[in-house]
Amino acid sequence: MPGTRSPVRLIVALSVAAVLAVFLLYTSIAGGGTPSLRPSQLHGHQGRVSLMGQVIGAPAGDAHAAGLRFQLRDVKGTTTVPVVYKGSVPDLFKTGRDVVVDGRLHNGVFVAVPDTLVTKCPSKYSPKR
Amino acid sequence: MADLGRAALVTAFLLLLFALVGGSLAAWRGRRRLAESAQNALLGSFVATVVAAAVLLAALARHDFSFQYVADHTSRELPLGYTLTAFWGGQEGSLLLWLLVLSGYSVAAVLTGRRAGREVLAWVVPTLALVGTFIAFLLVFVASPFATQAALADGAGLNPSLQNPYMAIHPPMLYLGYVGLTVPFAFAMGALLARRTDERWIVSTRRWTLAAWAFLGVGQLLGAHWAYVEIGWGGFYAWDPVENAALMPWLAATAFLHSVMIQEKRGMLKIWNVLLVVLAFGLSLFGTFLTRSGIIQSIHSFTQSSIGPWFLGFICLITAGSLSLVYARLPLLRAKTRLESLVSREATFLYNNLLLVALALTILWGVVYPILSEAVTGQAATVSKPYYNFFLHVFGLPLLLLMGIGPLVAWRRASLRALGRTFLWPLGAALVAGIALLAAGAGSSRIGVIAYTFSVFVLASIALEFARGTAARKALGGVGWAGAFSSLIARNRRRYGGYVVHASIVLLAIGVTGASAYQTVRESRLKPGQSMSVAGDRLVFRGYQTTMESNHRAIRGLVDVYRGNDYLGRYTPGKNQYFAEDQVSNEVSIRHDWLTGGDLFMIADQVNTDGSIDLKALQKPLVNLLWLAGLVFVGGSLIALWPDAREERRLAARYADAAVRI
Repeated sequence: MPGTRSPVRLIVALSVAAVLAVFLLYTSIAGGGTPSLRPSQLHGHQGRVSLMGQVIGAPAGDAHAAGLRFQLRDVKGTTTVPVVYKGSVPDLFKTGRDVVVDGRLHNGVFVAVPDTLVTKCPSKYSPKR
Repeated sequence: MADLGRAALVTAFLLLLFALVGGSLAAWRGRRRLAESAQNALLGSFVATVVAAAVLLAALARHDFSFQYVADHTSRELPLGYTLTAFWGGQEGSLLLWLLVLSGYSVAAVLTGRRAGREVLAWVVPTLALVGTFIAFLLVFVASPFATQAALADGAGLNPSLQNPYMAIHPPMLYLGYVGLTVPFAFAMGALLARRTDERWIVSTRRWTLAAWAFLGVGQLLGAHWAYVEIGWGGFYAWDPVENAALMPWLAATAFLHSVMIQEKRGMLKIWNVLLVVLAFGLSLFGTFLTRSGIIQSIHSFTQSSIGPWFLGFICLITAGSLSLVYARLPLLRAKTRLESLVSREATFLYNNLLLVALALTILWGVVYPILSEAVTGQAATVSKPYYNFFLHVFGLPLLLLMGIGPLVAWRRASLRALGRTFLWPLGAALVAGIALLAAGAGSSRIGVIAYTFSVFVLASIALEFARGTAARKALGGVGWAGAFSSLIARNRRRYGGYVVHASIVLLAIGVTGASAYQTVRESRLKPGQSMSVAGDRLVFRGYQTTMESNHRAIRGLVDVYRGNDYLGRYTPGKNQYFAEDQVSNEVSIRHDWLTGGDLFMIADQVNTDGSIDLKALQKPLVNLLWLAGLVFVGGSLIALWPDAREERRLAARYADAAVRI
């Protein structure tokens, strides 16, 4: 390539441009990420969000039929929201555990997207000091 | 006992501090005696760390619950094997393992790294000592594994999910990988500090980099296998931040392993190489930070700990320090030669590098996105699987293709006509494979067809390389085909080991594609006697069998599997209910089909009180190629790593002047 000092620079510059273009394309199609919220922040959110909270009270219902019903509370707070969930329930799910679940608020009930329930392992590595 | 451990750690800390301060002074002022004692201090710190590790291991073995660490992570009933692996089951022990591995690598690299030259080595010692001093500081002042308490009657036990044979091997492998990246980093910094920016630092650390990279790769694959057979959701990689933490430095190290070859052969890309090694080492520190700080939500929830801020500070220090050093040495890093053509071996290596780094950085972006979005908009947001999969396709598929193209393109400048001839066979094979796949109905996944066509192309070009090389060697005369083949590999271990690793990556791609793009998932609630089908197999539920074990109740669903009229056997997906931990664990049942490489993966998703089962069944074609890929990967890495007397002689002649003993 006559005229250019080094094709390396050209390649790097073009690649950086290509990566940025791909990135913009992705973000314009798929939007940003899913907002990650606590129950107290849910009010007013219409779209899909990722809800994190602590399971309160005894879960009831059938996750493979009408749905499992439980309450989620802010991990450090008092606001709770009822959740209805269908799909696989992780092994570690039970009262008192911190969980993350995706879904939408619908008439005051958080309707979860099936199979999105994730539990956080309780202190996998060491107890809090 | 605990006092001995503490004393050993303090000794290690002081020795490392001396190696750092004394070694820097010696390198700066050119004092040979001082440099020698700094190097000896570094070697001594290894001995002290071994003593500390032995003390902790002994305390674990003797159930000495006066050690807080032992009481927190083991109990009397815990089998001896898991009691010993609890060494890295907690934070303090993990840090001690870090230091042990680091000082072991330091000793090995310094003793074998003389080829880098005395001036470089004089700076390598304080650089290694800097990292070691930081970890030893944490162990002495922030998170000591030797904290004591009034001895308890029994310990808290190890989390059931860590009571697994993989616990013995997966974390140490990852540590050998993460920590091993310190060696090329230290030699790169040593070369810059000593103003010796030729390729000697690369040559003398090549095997250490390769070893660290191979350990990191194997460690991740072991983790994937652990997740697949034990955690029981039917997958092996979930783009979890902690998994990504290990993948990012591996990608950066992969780019580095390739780009250094260009510097060795053509003296190009010097700046890029030092930046890559900084990136790889920075990402490995960042990975440790991620798993230890609790800053990012992950299913591997590690508790927020006191060492997070220290690590962040150290990462900033290392990044800022090494980048300013690179900037200061820019005039020395000018390339001697230029890229001559966009169609050449160098150019394909460059494309591969850009793709690998782009992939690593987009993953990094996804990992830190929750923090960034919270900082910018005040509202944390997460990216999930689709984000990562998108970029894996966009950057990963071209990478796969390049693996087939790169090795066949000539150095410096390749003519298009020669390329056409070279690629005739691989292209033909890929075309036939593509048509066959479409005819067989694989078109259900476009990504799948592309990935498989590319895979065939790469495998064909690798086979072609081996065939050509063997034929050429046989033409020299005196040997048969087998002899020519083995001498071909023996004489070019690095190159052909590399091709074997490439083949393993293709196997990995085939396995991943089969298990994701072509998997079939069926869920059904079955009463005893009822059946469901999944991709040609019929699963009949026969009821439950419950047995009482010492610490859990084992409930197993009895599932008979039929294909057509053939009975394939009884499988028993179920659940274990642990009494003491009040915890349930899924026990999946997997039918391996060794002929096709596929798995029938059965999960007892829900055990119902009315005697029915919610059964989830996944047909995962070709998934076993993933684990086969691991074996091939180890084989290829070993071939590339194996000591090579011929290469040693060649290098010795080339760097005769640098082989001066310190």
